[in-house]
Amino acid sequence: MNLLKRFEVWVSLLVILICLVFLWESWDLPPGSFEPLGSGPVPQATAFIVILCAGLVILNALRKPVQLSENEGTKEQPSIRAGLIISLATVIYSLVLHFRLMPFAWMTTLFLVITIWGLERFEKKKFFPALITAIVISFASEYLFTEVFFVDLPT
Amino acid sequence: MDLELLFAAAGQILTPWPFFLLFIGTSLGILVGAIPGMTGAMLIALTLPLTFYMDPFNAIVLLVAMYVGAISGGLITATLLRMPGTPAAVMTTFDGYPMARNGRPGRALGLGITASFVGGLIAWITLATITKPLSVFATKFGPFEYFTLIMMAMVLIASVSEGSLAKGLISGLLGMLISMPGVDPATGMPRLTFDWYMLNGGLKLLPVLIGVFAVSQIIKDALDIGQVPERIAMSSKGMLMSVRDFIHQGVNLIRSSLIGTWVGILPGIGASIGSVIAYTAAKNMSKTPEKFGTGSEEGIVASEAANNATVGGALIPLIAMGIPGSVIDAILIGALMIHSIQPGPTLFLTNADIVWGMIAACLLANVLMWLLMTSSVKYIAGLMYLPRSFVLPVVMVFCVIGSFALNNTMFDVWVMLIFGVMGFLMECAKIPLGPFVIGFVLAPLAEEKLRSGLMMTAGDFSPIFTRPLPLLFTILAVILLLWPIVGDWMRKRRLSRK
Repeated sequence: MNLLKRFEVWVSLLVILICLVFLWESWDLPPGSFEPLGSGPVPQATAFIVILCAGLVILNALRKPVQLSENEGTKEQPSIRAGLIISLATVIYSLVLHFRLMPFAWMTTLFLVITIWGLERFEKKKFFPALITAIVISFASEYLFTEVFFVDLPT
Repeated sequence: MDLELLFAAAGQILTPWPFFLLFIGTSLGILVGAIPGMTGAMLIALTLPLTFYMDPFNAIVLLVAMYVGAISGGLITATLLRMPGTPAAVMTTFDGYPMARNGRPGRALGLGITASFVGGLIAWITLATITKPLSVFATKFGPFEYFTLIMMAMVLIASVSEGSLAKGLISGLLGMLISMPGVDPATGMPRLTFDWYMLNGGLKLLPVLIGVFAVSQIIKDALDIGQVPERIAMSSKGMLMSVRDFIHQGVNLIRSSLIGTWVGILPGIGASIGSVIAYTAAKNMSKTPEKFGTGSEEGIVASEAANNATVGGALIPLIAMGIPGSVIDAILIGALMIHSIQPGPTLFLTNADIVWGMIAACLLANVLMWLLMTSSVKYIAGLMYLPRSFVLPVVMVFCVIGSFALNNTMFDVWVMLIFGVMGFLMECAKIPLGPFVIGFVLAPLAEEKLRSGLMMTAGDFSPIFTRPLPLLFTILAVILLLWPIVGDWMRKRRLSRK
């Protein structure tokens, strides 16, 4: 099975799981008292149709033969490392902001330096451009959002 | 058309602060459109939190200007990099890039820019003339008319989206389902909240939007970070279209603009489909169809006129009925609601200044787009080569700020991240994201209309089949639903006969 088919199957299974959770939760909703439909039927019907469609996608993925697109063989491999760096750094950044462990501007500087430098494969000569960019963006955006746009920041 | 109100709105936009916002919006839209991997939807979603404290008129001017700019900016990367800056510019790559590679980048960009302007202008004329009569007609809609119209729109969106009908339906209906947790407006009781108080207010549009459109795109771009675009030397030679060009391309320009406007009016179908249909029509009617795909001027004109025309076209159902004509329109609906403005047929009565402001901004942004792009496309083109390693983390910071700013709570940031991952996974499985957001926006309206309709009829569904408009919308929805299946069956039958 090629990568697309695998994604189709796994994502459809995830969608089915989400719908089942919604179905389960909506089962106990009381029927309408002063209106005929009540809260439950709309989410139940929606979840049911999504499950049907996801089932169809899974069936199609398993049934149809694998068709490689013209450039699939020659396409450049995705940089999993870069994807992981930005995803993990964002989760850590959000956690630190959530628990208010560091002020916004400092944490943002740290996040930007690590991700920019990481995406540049930690090349030594890219460190200072990354640092300067990070400092300028972090402190400028803190000033801009709090003083100009009057938006609160997690700080 | 209320010319007086239109001129008043245009006059207000031409005062310093709104004009500054119009300028910033159009410029930023063009820049974002020109940076591969960044889209208009992403820009507008990220800008929404900044408009919280703005006057609604100014906020709408800024967002509409961004919309016009972003659709137009995509042609720069499509022409110089063979990488559409926005999905709407896909068809431009087929002829823009070969022409640019053959040493005529200025000509390719000039044709695209002027075609975009003309497309936008023709769509604007339609927007300014038919929106009000349509909204007057829509005031006659009852709950069942609305409910069936939304259902038809959802099926239409699903059937024309990338991938299969089933995937389109999964996306749209999942978006509807995700919008349902929170306090049930009809009963006042919490539902689907899993006894978690944070969900009592439901999932907000903004974090979901930023997650689905911005975060998922950042992850995708990070994975593609190794791709280095090939540089083409830029020159402005041949940038302006001559009178002869206009005569030569006139029919193509008008036809493509009308196709784009019509596709824009159809609920939920964006600029990409408009440019595909216009391009195909231009090819079929061309005297030299063999030139398409090798640098055909007609191809560039058709694609760009149509994709810009969808902007004005898509604003028509948004203003007249509160139904988004595209993904960005779904975000604009969110923007209106954030400013306590209820989109729909009564908008002309309750917020005429906003409506005419939106219409005037669409025209003025279009003019500004033409001026900015013809005068500075050479410099804008340089932005395409900005290193993604510097752009992506900065955009991620803005995503976090944007989501947090909604309610000053990190809960929204986590919602954004979860939907970012979900959007990324959906993209990997080729499940389109557009229907998801449109479903999310339209679900509360659809459910409200269905339930209030049933209250009026004491639970009787028969008006869906006995009243003319609901019946028409239902029949159309069924046809749209069955069309791919019947088409597939007929194709197989034809093949087996051969």
